[in-house]
Amino acid sequence: MTDPKDLTPAERRAFETLPREAEPPKGLEDRTVALLQARGVLAVPLRPLAAPTRRWHPAWLVGALAASLALFASGIAVGQLLGARSATIAAAVGLGSSLAERTQQVQRTGSEYVAALTALLQETDTSDAASRERATEAALGALGAAAQEVSRLAPSDPLAAAVLRGLTERRRASQAPPPTRTVVWY
Amino acid sequence: MALPALIEHDRALASQVLAGDELAFRELYRRHTPRLYQLVLRLLGGRDADAEDAVQDTWLKATERLDRFRWECAFGTWLSAIALNVAREQMRRRIRRPEADWPEDLDPPAAAPFDVVDSMDLEHAVADLPDGYRAVLVLHDVEGYTHEEIGLALGIAEGTSKSQLFWARQALRATLGSRQKGIPA
Repeated sequence: MTDPKDLTPAERRAFETLPREAEPPKGLEDRTVALLQARGVLAVPLRPLAAPTRRWHPAWLVGALAASLALFASGIAVGQLLGARSATIAAAVGLGSSLAERTQQVQRTGSEYVAALTALLQETDTSDAASRERATEAALGALGAAAQEVSRLAPSDPLAAAVLRGLTERRRASQAPPPTRTVVWY
Repeated sequence: MALPALIEHDRALASQVLAGDELAFRELYRRHTPRLYQLVLRLLGGRDADAEDAVQDTWLKATERLDRFRWECAFGTWLSAIALNVAREQMRRRIRRPEADWPEDLDPPAAAPFDVVDSMDLEHAVADLPDGYRAVLVLHDVEGYTHEEIGLALGIAEGTSKSQLFWARQALRATLGSRQKGIPA
């Protein structure tokens, strides 16, 4: 008789048939990679900048607004911390308050700034090249100014450097003479 | 690929991961996670979300300690040991369920050994066991650990592992027996 402490051959076989592997849930790998990147264990890949183009897609404009918010807020914070008290920032942020209060003010100002840019986007007729260009210039002007401030704080910051490089390339592209057309006469 | 070659490949990938290589990590992840996921899923009673958390935690801990891993055992074995710790922590955090369904000074119920059983039924019966029983049964009867190894992995005495296994098997037989007879367990 089988000792009840032991498995019977049938029980042993039943356990042996159980799978030893299972398909992990989709997305778990990417979430784990993202977490490891956030912790600095894995490198964050740098994506190359897209080649500058003369025409700006509305989706790019939305992205630029979001990026400009982040950089602008950083720029204000840097400006405050370094004592750069330009009239605009002083009016927007206020002086003489604690660092925590200033941080909150920066966040509030940033929210107002992005709200203004969103309103600008909504008011801009994206089918009209001239008004789209004006809105883009306004958004990119602030983006460039904020990127400059961030690069003063952290000269080797790759994001600020990439934004400044992209804006410089864009400016060069817009100033380049139109390509000469070769006409062949018969 | 032969076993030493597999271990060497893991080692090469691990050194790339230490240098921050994402692709190397993804390869290492894909090689070991199906096994790891099944182990923690079974240990945690088939709770997908818990198993997912445990796998993620295991990889985070493994990458933190990777530079100290001495390669005296296979990478998968080391990873499983980390996963066991993570799963054990998760089980501790849960609302405690009674470890014994009946007092140990009484005779165990007359549970006949199960004969032919569907894999799914067996999985469900294992999942329904109390955490402590299930952990020992999965490690011993499914994964092939010895009581000494289970004691070390779960931080319990070898004798406790043997006793838990005995009760786990009895509970499993009782559950499967009643299911086969159509009696709710």
